[in-house]
Amino acid sequence: MATDKSNFQLVTNGILQENPIFKLALSMCPAVGISTTVMNGLMLGTAVLFVQVFSSVTISLLKNFIHPRIRIPTYTLTIATWVTVIDLSLAAYFPAAYAQMGIFVKIIVAFAIITMRLEMFACKEPVSSSFWDGLGMGLGFMVGMVVIGLVRELLGSGAILGHDVLGFKPLLFFILPSAGFFVVGLMMGFFNWIEKYYAARKRGNR
Amino acid sequence: MKMIFTIIFRLTVSCLIAGTIMGMTFIVTNKAKKANEFAREEKVVYALLGYSKDRPIPESMGMHEVFRYLVLEGESQSIGYLVPTGGHGEEGGFGFIRISLDGTFIDQTDIVLSEDKVREQGERDLAIQTALGPARQVRFVDQTIVVTDHGSRTAYLLHGKFPGFKTNIGIMLALDPGYSIIGLEVMEHEEDPGLGAEIEQDYFKNQFKLKDFDTIKAIEVIKKPLPDEYFEALEGRIDEAAALDIMEQYKDQDIYALTGATISSDAVSSGVKGMTKKFAYRLDILDKVLEEQQIAVPF
Amino acid sequence: MNRLHYLAIVTVVLGLLGLGGVVQAADLVSKTEFAAENEIIVHFSNPVDRTQAADPGRYVVFEESDPDIRLNISTIVVSENGREALLTFDEPLNSAKTHIVKTSGIGGVAESSFSVSKSYFGYLISILISALLINNFVFTKYLGLCVFFGTSKRKQTAKGMGVVFTIVIVVSVSMSWVLFQYVLRPFNLDYLQIVIFIGLTSLTVQAVDTVLRKVNPVLFKSFGVYLVLVIANCVIIAVPLLMASNGYNYFETFMLSLGAGGGFLLALYLMSSVSERVELAKVPPSFKGLPIAFIVAGQFAMAFLGFSGLQLF
Repeated sequence: MATDKSNFQLVTNGILQENPIFKLALSMCPAVGISTTVMNGLMLGTAVLFVQVFSSVTISLLKNFIHPRIRIPTYTLTIATWVTVIDLSLAAYFPAAYAQMGIFVKIIVAFAIITMRLEMFACKEPVSSSFWDGLGMGLGFMVGMVVIGLVRELLGSGAILGHDVLGFKPLLFFILPSAGFFVVGLMMGFFNWIEKYYAARKRGNR
Repeated sequence: MKMIFTIIFRLTVSCLIAGTIMGMTFIVTNKAKKANEFAREEKVVYALLGYSKDRPIPESMGMHEVFRYLVLEGESQSIGYLVPTGGHGEEGGFGFIRISLDGTFIDQTDIVLSEDKVREQGERDLAIQTALGPARQVRFVDQTIVVTDHGSRTAYLLHGKFPGFKTNIGIMLALDPGYSIIGLEVMEHEEDPGLGAEIEQDYFKNQFKLKDFDTIKAIEVIKKPLPDEYFEALEGRIDEAAALDIMEQYKDQDIYALTGATISSDAVSSGVKGMTKKFAYRLDILDKVLEEQQIAVPF
Repeated sequence: MNRLHYLAIVTVVLGLLGLGGVVQAADLVSKTEFAAENEIIVHFSNPVDRTQAADPGRYVVFEESDPDIRLNISTIVVSENGREALLTFDEPLNSAKTHIVKTSGIGGVAESSFSVSKSYFGYLISILISALLINNFVFTKYLGLCVFFGTSKRKQTAKGMGVVFTIVIVVSVSMSWVLFQYVLRPFNLDYLQIVIFIGLTSLTVQAVDTVLRKVNPVLFKSFGVYLVLVIANCVIIAVPLLMASNGYNYFETFMLSLGAGGGFLLALYLMSSVSERVELAKVPPSFKGLPIAFIVAGQFAMAFLGFSGLQLF
């Protein structure tokens, strides 16, 4: 049963309608923990994108080979393999950025979002749809992380990607870890409010 | 029954494939990781010594590594140094010099090892262990780089790790032959951003520059605000000559603590103090032994 | 498990804590301990000659890792009954490191050597407290948040999740430690950490699931649903990774996992208590649910920041 969405729609779905961080509220640990700079967001976003895409494609390729009763262990094995690969690669080729992220790259293996995506989508859909869906989810995660990172880095250290933009540090609080909770909470509330507003307008226009 | 076999078979195959992928990635990336680590250290070393793109390394500069080991023989312990042997400019091998705990020379063993293998801890340990025999165990402790220019010493580079406010802080320290500080670089830490993490900033690290051995032996941390002109000099915002002048003025002072991070500042100061004192003590002993025993080394 | 049992356990724990540095080698010395910043107190088993004991030349003190650097004793004060010697040093001592004291010719013993270190049991407790409060996995390390927000609405669910999680984490981390020490490390297979740890966790969850189903179906009905959520919890993979990178031995690992589970339970309980109240408060409609939960969690995180740098032992 193939999905009836086009490939482009799959991607935008991942970024907007079913954004992992803001809508599905999954994989929030890194969103709160290390979204202190845009660079971190990009790096971790890329890692998650890589893992999501490769896992989705792998599972989709092997969906007939996997016995239904052991599908969860198989998903776990696949995800763990790709996480190990990206972890080793990042550590070797981008050591400075990797050091910033600590163990969060390894923790990708425990992200509910990836397993859920495999369970709900990749094991039923053909390879190409799985690829685009994985891409969408990964990009959605990256976008979320970058947005939060942007807010925190700008307001916390007055810089973007390490380049001083404001010339002063507005509120050190924002790059302290606990601010992650506040920023995410406020942004979620804000998105909810926007949604309600547009929904009300739509209803009002009918 | 057949189902269980199928499950086991498929699971095993998946595991094997996964293992192969990970193994191959590991082999490929490990080499890159080592190369990157080495490059990073080299960059830090050159920056500490004051070289950069504008001031390239002179041809006459040499870097010699001295490795310190703990040798255990039954109940007794001794310190062993793996040094490059041979005079300046000669192709030499390596010698393992054993010194007792109270500073007297015990013996020297020649170690056969190539220049690149000596950097690999596993190979190095093996070579020394074989040369010393099974009755003694060797344990690597730390290494120092002696920098020379035309054969005479210009700097010593040491690594050190000590507890900070949160976890350990790792630094690299550059000392001149009189044990004054040339520079300091923070290699790793897990301090709070904006507070303890400010130890990475120039206005903290550079306070250690130019401090001589006697000042460092008694260095303390003072909780007073950093004078503005000193701040400007440390951060390199004024021209070099003026900055040097100001730093000379402050060179006998204690370290100005970071705002809101007294413990981290104190940790770094005590760490530097301990490292310098221990290193000076040990190097003096080693130099004495090298002179007494007439052992030729390229530094 | 009544009050008497609790009392007994607490007494044993306090007794172990007071053991300070238990002496290994000689019978000459019964106890050693660090006193002020630059002092060591040596307790002799039998009274010793006071002039001998007060002679700095008869002592050699150094840190275990730096045997060639001798620490300078500035003064020694021996007690009236000759059973205690207070050694004062020029420089402050680094009490986190084990120090070795060698004596010669004191109390009739030609040569003896003993170590001075902080109580090992105290060190274990400090790992526990660290994982529980100072580095609380939810509020300070920001892990396990998805599950955290999902199960922190009611006190009942919070307690259930917390307890199940603690049990699973202790069991699975213990197994991970065994595999790490005896299989991964010796064969240089460090990069298989992730796969092995997550695999063992799934195995533990599966095992606990099956066992609970058979042994206590009633318990299973109330707690079983949380088992599945344990796998999705970032903390469960973070703890073995932390254990691997720090190279802890078994007891330290046990304390770490206990602290992690306990910290999670604590976080859940605190959060659920607040959650129940927030439900009755006037929250703006866009903020109802997750957003307000995040903000509350943020305030907890700020509060827990206060534990930073706490040092009990």
